[in-house]
Amino acid sequence: MAITEIKAEELPALFESVAEVFEEKKELLCQMDAAMGDGDLGLTMSKGYGALPQILRENLDADNPAKMLMKGGMKMSGVVPSTMGTLMSSGLMQGGKMLNGRKTIGASEFADFLTGFAEGIKKRGKCDAGDRTIYDVLEPAQKAAQQAASAGASLPDVAAAALQGAEAGVEATKEMIPRFGKAAVHAAKAKGVEDQGAVAGKCLIEGLLRYIN
Amino acid sequence: MIDMKKIMNAPENYVDDMLRGIYAANPMVKYAEDDLRCYCIAEKRPGKVAIITGGGTGHLPLFLGYVGENMIDGCGVGGVFQSPSAEQIVNVAKEVEAGAGVLFLYGNYTGDIMNFDMAAEILEMDDIQTASIVGADDVLSHADPSVRRGVAGIFFMYKCAGAKAADGGDLEEVLAAAQKAKDNTRTVGFALTPCIIPEIGHPNFELKDGEMAFGMGIHGEPGVWNGPIKTADELAKDSVEEILDDMEVKAGEEVCVLINGLGATSQEELYILSGSVRKELDDRGIKTYRTFVGEYATSMEMAGASISLCRIADEEMKKQIDKPVHTPFYTQV
Repeated sequence: MAITEIKAEELPALFESVAEVFEEKKELLCQMDAAMGDGDLGLTMSKGYGALPQILRENLDADNPAKMLMKGGMKMSGVVPSTMGTLMSSGLMQGGKMLNGRKTIGASEFADFLTGFAEGIKKRGKCDAGDRTIYDVLEPAQKAAQQAASAGASLPDVAAAALQGAEAGVEATKEMIPRFGKAAVHAAKAKGVEDQGAVAGKCLIEGLLRYIN
Repeated sequence: MIDMKKIMNAPENYVDDMLRGIYAANPMVKYAEDDLRCYCIAEKRPGKVAIITGGGTGHLPLFLGYVGENMIDGCGVGGVFQSPSAEQIVNVAKEVEAGAGVLFLYGNYTGDIMNFDMAAEILEMDDIQTASIVGADDVLSHADPSVRRGVAGIFFMYKCAGAKAADGGDLEEVLAAAQKAKDNTRTVGFALTPCIIPEIGHPNFELKDGEMAFGMGIHGEPGVWNGPIKTADELAKDSVEEILDDMEVKAGEEVCVLINGLGATSQEELYILSGSVRKELDDRGIKTYRTFVGEYATSMEMAGASISLCRIADEEMKKQIDKPVHTPFYTQV
């Protein structure tokens, strides 16, 4: 059932959907990561997002989704202190920060959350567009979301636009050369293959959309 | 291959067993939020800038050893050679902040920076003002000063910032004191043997008989060369040259010297090295104001040492270095 806004109390359930997607994609992400990294990306994402709903429940703050997400992100980083774990946590924290002063998450807040998420990754990871990272998915996703939101689209439509942006981003990483992380060592194998971090970014958006729909 | 011989219980309890021992022996410190790794001064001074450090276990007295009177107020304690978590840093900050803001002062390592930055963002949300500065004194670790590792020279940053805070400085002034110490301190280190992380059980690299590593880091990061062990005089000469190449000290100017043992090197050897360093400075007409010899930043049972020079920039800095301090690990009258 499509919704028009997400309340702070719903954040645990929102991220249950995200955790579900990561559980479904765990094997796939591990396989992709084994070819171009150390093989644990699926495990890390499942572990981190698996723990997040409970963390959010323990830090419920009615009418203050910003604080919940910032704290949730920080605590998630303790659960999965790897680079990707830290990037996801940083994304959550910056995404949450963008929601300061807002009591619920509607269409424009959702777009702002994604904008902040992308910013958080860029800042912490010190990466940029074209580096073949999760940022290459979150950046087009947030752009698409903002465009839809400015056009007055509903929350489900903004989320759908974000997913389209994310999918295009994943496709684009096929032609990029990795600059960061363990994937950089496997640069020669990268061409024509989707980046696993980018796919993880898409999974996040899929999970969010699943709850919203 | 070196056998691991340590006095401990289960390797996975190394950090927490160590902490339990420290707390039991020292009422001056306590832990916060039921977490042994949130290491705090037991009694804080209202209105004082709180200085918080953090880093991996395995370097005692660095980092937690400097928590005490007129020095640091709290420390996030990480696993062996690992960063503390952002949450632990936040918990320490909330416990020891005293209404005048918080200075994060720690070593230039990627993991630590990420976690301290995250902690700063959370604290900002709760209106606790923070400033951050990292020690980056290991000249041989990188040509770019902003990338250099933080090693024993952070001692001078702790002393100057700690003194300024104790003397009632505000957050900006305490940060400036730390910055001045940072700008005027350089270190060169070298190792004769590796160390062993308890849960791994064997060294991560080998040094052959008669071999040393010049420029090795305090986590065993590779140095600039491995080769035959040089004499104390040679090491002093090479080290002082590297330092003065990077930081000018004119004849007639004053420095403090820190001769730091990495954990398995005897005090006898440290004093031999200290004498050699003194001679290098005397030959250049550089005056030695104070000499500190001992263990200030170790690497468990690594044999080796580091030499730091801290150029006395002004009278204020001199007074800050002279200020008496008292922590469970370091006392200066």
